[in-house]
Amino acid sequence: MILIHCPYCDEKRPEIEFANAGQAHVARPLDPSSQSDEEWEAYLFIRANPRGRHHERWRHVHGCGRFFNAVRDTVTDKFETTYKAGEPRR
Amino acid sequence: MSDALFRNEPVSSTPYVADGVSIRLAAPLKRYSLRARTADALETVLNVKVPQKIGATEGGIACLGPDEWLLRTPAEAAMPTGTGLPVAITDISERSICLVLEGPRAAEVLMTGCPLDLDNFAVGRATRTIYETVEIIIIREGEDRFHVEVWRSFAAWLWTAFTTAASH
Ligand SMILES: [Zn+2]
Repeated sequence: MILIHCPYCDEKRPEIEFANAGQAHVARPLDPSSQSDEEWEAYLFIRANPRGRHHERWRHVHGCGRFFNAVRDTVTDKFETTYKAGEPRR
Repeated sequence: MSDALFRNEPVSSTPYVADGVSIRLAAPLKRYSLRARTADALETVLNVKVPQKIGATEGGIACLGPDEWLLRTPAEAAMPTGTGLPVAITDISERSICLVLEGPRAAEVLMTGCPLDLDNFAVGRATRTIYETVEIIIIREGEDRFHVEVWRSFAAWLWTAFTTAASH
């Protein structure tokens, strides 16, 4: 079982306590009505699908309950780092 | 809280006793979910000490997350409402029941379905976690005594899982 470091609990916890919540750092446009259909579609549906280093949101759902961000390698499934929501991209 | 006569618990009121471990239903508790941005904000409202660190317990209050605490108390407590303040205090007494695992094999029985390393889980610590697929809250009350909070609808299954594990 993979152990994932929760930046809020500040310890490594078993992966089944966590849930993946998709790509990280996708910011909702501040003024949605100013968006073209293409821009809005890109925000809603278009995601990176990298082979390798990927920024993801995870949630310690069966733990402290918090969402945080993680850098995970999609090939090896290794977590490079995790950090609190709101902190700059690593 | 309803009269004890009318309580309908989802598990047996007779303790299950196996070699090295017993499993029993705890007496009814009052439970409050406490939410606030900081422990200090809650301390101001409750006028008691509130643990700051996730996993810590103090005076019946467990810190479950950065903005979430669980207060368990045997008696009906007069709770402040915190009206107008950025806190939320919710009575969740009947949402869950508590199973008590006691004896030298208590940790072993829990670890049949819980992935935490309970050998390194200090007395006085509390955490939300999972047993197989059922969400639970573990509170280590003593070296050989664990309280396991589980939502009522999962309790019958968890009781069967624990007693089955204890019988092996
Ligand atoms: Zn956590």
